[in-house]
Amino acid sequence: MKCSPCYSPFSAKSAFSSPAEAVRAAAAASLLCLLSIGSARAQSPKAAVHSPTAGDSVGLVDVRQQDLLKEPVAANWVSYNGDYTGARSSVLKQVTPANAARLAPQWVFHPHTVSPLEATPIVVNGIMFVTSANDAYALDATSGKVLWRHERAVSQGLIDDPAQHHNRGVAVLGTRVYMETDNAHLLCLDARSGNLIWDVAYASGNRNYGATSAPLVVKDKVIVGVAGGDDGVRGFVAAFDAQNGEEKWRFWTIPGPGEKGNESWPGDLYLHGGGATWMPGTYDPDLNTLYWGTGNPAPDYDGSVRPGDDLYTSCLLALDPDTGKLKWYFQFSPHNLYDYDAVQTPVLVNASFKGRPRKLIVTANRNGFLYILDRTNGHFLFAKQFAQQLNWATGIDENGRPISAGLIPDEKGVKVCPANGGATNWYSPSYNPATRMFYFRSYDDCAVFRARPTAFEPGAGFYATGARLSNEPGKGYINAFDLEKLDFAWRDKQIGSYKGWGGVMSTASGLVAYGDDAQNFVVLNGRTGRPLWHFHVGQLIHASPMSYAVRGKQYFAVAAGSDVFAFALP
Amino acid sequence: MGGRGLWTRALCAALGFAGVPAFAHGQQNEARLGARRYMEYCAGCHGTDGRGGAKGPSLAGEPAASRSDDELYAIVRNGTHGGMPPFAQIGEASLTALIRFLRLLENGNSDSAAKAPQGPPGDARAGRVLYFGKAQCSTCHMVNGEGGFMARSLTHYARNRAAEAIRAAIVNPGHPLILSTRVVTVTMPGGKTLTGVLRNEDEFNLDLQTTDGRYHLLNRSSVLQVDYTDQSLMPRDYGTRLTPAELNDIVSYLMSAGGKKGVNEEHVQ
Repeated sequence: MKCSPCYSPFSAKSAFSSPAEAVRAAAAASLLCLLSIGSARAQSPKAAVHSPTAGDSVGLVDVRQQDLLKEPVAANWVSYNGDYTGARSSVLKQVTPANAARLAPQWVFHPHTVSPLEATPIVVNGIMFVTSANDAYALDATSGKVLWRHERAVSQGLIDDPAQHHNRGVAVLGTRVYMETDNAHLLCLDARSGNLIWDVAYASGNRNYGATSAPLVVKDKVIVGVAGGDDGVRGFVAAFDAQNGEEKWRFWTIPGPGEKGNESWPGDLYLHGGGATWMPGTYDPDLNTLYWGTGNPAPDYDGSVRPGDDLYTSCLLALDPDTGKLKWYFQFSPHNLYDYDAVQTPVLVNASFKGRPRKLIVTANRNGFLYILDRTNGHFLFAKQFAQQLNWATGIDENGRPISAGLIPDEKGVKVCPANGGATNWYSPSYNPATRMFYFRSYDDCAVFRARPTAFEPGAGFYATGARLSNEPGKGYINAFDLEKLDFAWRDKQIGSYKGWGGVMSTASGLVAYGDDAQNFVVLNGRTGRPLWHFHVGQLIHASPMSYAVRGKQYFAVAAGSDVFAFALP
Repeated sequence: MGGRGLWTRALCAALGFAGVPAFAHGQQNEARLGARRYMEYCAGCHGTDGRGGAKGPSLAGEPAASRSDDELYAIVRNGTHGGMPPFAQIGEASLTALIRFLRLLENGNSDSAAKAPQGPPGDARAGRVLYFGKAQCSTCHMVNGEGGFMARSLTHYARNRAAEAIRAAIVNPGHPLILSTRVVTVTMPGGKTLTGVLRNEDEFNLDLQTTDGRYHLLNRSSVLQVDYTDQSLMPRDYGTRLTPAELNDIVSYLMSAGGKKGVNEEHVQ
C-alpha cells in the first residue's frame, strides 16, 4: 500500500522537506485559505504564519533526524525512551533535590478508553502525543487540553495481552506520528491533525498476533514488533518505509526450516515458537546497530517439545537497521521454562568498565540477573544477581550462560524463583551519567510452575499449562546499581499494598522519578535513595515517567491508571 | 466565556467538514444547543465524538440511526434497563435539541432527503483531478492519506451522505457548528496579530493552529484581544468558482473515495 505523492503545495509538506520549502508552502496555503474566507479577506496572508514567539519553536512538530539523534534527552522527549540510548536520563535541571518538594500537579488528562494506560508520552515542542488503546491524542503539554485525537475502536477477538488493548505510545518523524494497534497494524497519522495517512496490517497467518508496543523510528524506517509470545505466534521485528508504509525487512525471531537454530523447532513448531518483540529496542547510530529484545519461547512451560536453546527466544538481538540482518545475539535464558522474556530495555551506556572506556549495554533481565555486555560484539562482560530469591540457576558462567538448576515444570508443579512475572519486567530502567548509576525496579516472588503437553490452538494461549504465585507476599524494590563499584549503591524497598508496574527515569540534577507500590508518583534523590516528594495519583502507575520542558519550564509526566498527570514547580 | 464553550477537535471530525449547510438558522441554533447538551450529559459515557466510550455504545451510526425520533427521545428521557440514566430533568427543549444533534452524529445532516439513495452525479476521475488541482480541496482536506491537515479527512465523508447534501456542503459551508474549526485573530501585546483556527479555549488558555500546522499555545493573560469570526477556513465561493459539472465531479470523487483500497477500513466507523 502506498501513500502517493501529494498534489497541493500545502500538502506536499510531507515528512522530509526542507524548512524553506515548508515556509513557502505554508505561506501559499495560508493565502489560499485566508483569501477565500470573508472576514479574513483583509488580513495579510503573512499574519497566518507569523509567530509572536519567533525564534522559539513551541507548537511546531517537524521532527528531523538530528532531533532523534540528540542525546541525552532535553526539552523534547521524542521517542518511547526519550532518545536512542534507552537511558531515560534527562539533562533538565530546573527541578533539583533542593526544590523537588515544591513540585505540584499542573494538569490531568483523562482519555475514555482502557485502564491502566501503559504509554510513555512523547513531547515535541510543547505538543504531547499519547495513546490509550487504539486511540492517539495530541495535547497542549502546558495545559493537557486535546488538540486532536484519532480514535479507532478496540479490536474484538484478540486474546491474552493484546486483548487488554494496552499500548505504549507513539513514534514521530517529520510531521507524522506512528503507532501500533492492538491487532498489529502500523498507523501513520498526520501530527498536525491526527488524520490517518496510511494503515498497514503487519502480522498475518496467526490470529493470536497482537501488538502493545510503541514503534521506533530509525533513519527513514519505522520499526515494530509483535505481542502474543505466550500464545504461539512466531515473533519478528519488521521495518517499514516511514513515507509510504512499504515493508523493508523482517527478522523472524524463530528460525525457519534450514536456518541456524531450527533444530529446536521440530515440524511446524517454528510457526508457534514465541520470541515476541513487544517492547521498542535501542539504537547506536555510530555502530549502525539496532538492539531488540525477544520474549520467552512457546509453549511456555512444556520445554520437552522444543529441545536445545530455542533460538532466538529470551535474547538480545543486534540487527542492521538497514537490512534487518542479524549481527550477533546474546541469549540470557536458553531453553527457558519460566516465561522469562528478555524485552527489558537494553540501555546503551558509554562508560569506563574496569578502568577501560567501553561501549556497553546494561540491562536488568526478568531472569533475576543484571548484565553488562560489550555492544560492539555482544560479548559478555559481567552479571550480578539482583533477585533476592532465585533458584532456577546456580550462577552465570564466564560466557554469560546461566548454570541451570534443573527445575523442570511438570504435572505436580515445581516452585521457581523469580515467578513468571520476572524479577523485573518491561517497566523502564534508567542510567544516569551524573550519578553513574543504573536505576531499575525489581520484584521478588516465586511461583509454582506446572506443565502439561498442549497442542497449539488458534484463539487460545500456548502456555502448556500454568504458573501460580506462591503464598509469600512479594517485595518490590527500586534499585541503584553503581557502574563504577559494580555493586548496588542502595535498594529502596517499596511499601504499599500493590505490586508496582511503574518504570523509572532520572535527571541531570540527580533525581529519580517513578510510580511506587502505593499509587504515589515519587521523586527521590538518586544518590541516596531518599524520597523527596510524592503525589498520590489514586491509581496504580503501570507506565514509565518522562520529563520535558516548554518555554523553560520543566515538567514530569506519567500515565497513571486511566489518566496522564503532569507536574512542575509552581 | 460561557457561550464559547469548549469544543473538541474530535467532535469536529465527527461532524460535517463545513458546518451544516442545509439547516435553516433556527435548526442550526437547535443543533448547537444539542451539541452543548451532548457534551454536558452524554459525552462522558458515549465519547466526545459519539463513537462510544468506556460505558456507552457508539451513537454515530446504527443502531441509533435505525430508531425513530420518538424512540430516541423516549430513551434519552426515560433511560434504559441497561443502565443509562433518565434525562427528563434537562427539559423538553434540550431533549429535542439533543435528538437533532444525534441525527447529525449519525450522518452529518438531519435532512431526511440526505438518506435517499442516489448514484454519483458526475465523473469521479475528473473530480479527483479537480480535488487535488484547480479546486484546491486538498489544501486542507485529506482523502486516503493525501492532502492537507487543517480540516478533517474526507476519506469517509460521503458515507451515508447523498450527493445533494455533499454538494450543498461544498457550495454553502454555512457557519461552523463546531467552534474548534472557527477562524480567529489574536492580537498580542505590541500589536502583532496571529490568525488561525481556534482549537481550544477556556478562561485561561487558547490553542490556535495556524495554516502552517503550528499550534500556538497561548495564555489568555498574555493576549490583548481575540477577534472571533463565525467562519471556518472553508472557501465560500465554490458555487461561482466551479461549474455545476465540476461540482458534480468532485461530489462523485468523494463518493468513490471511501471504498478505495489502501486505507484500512475495518475499524473506521
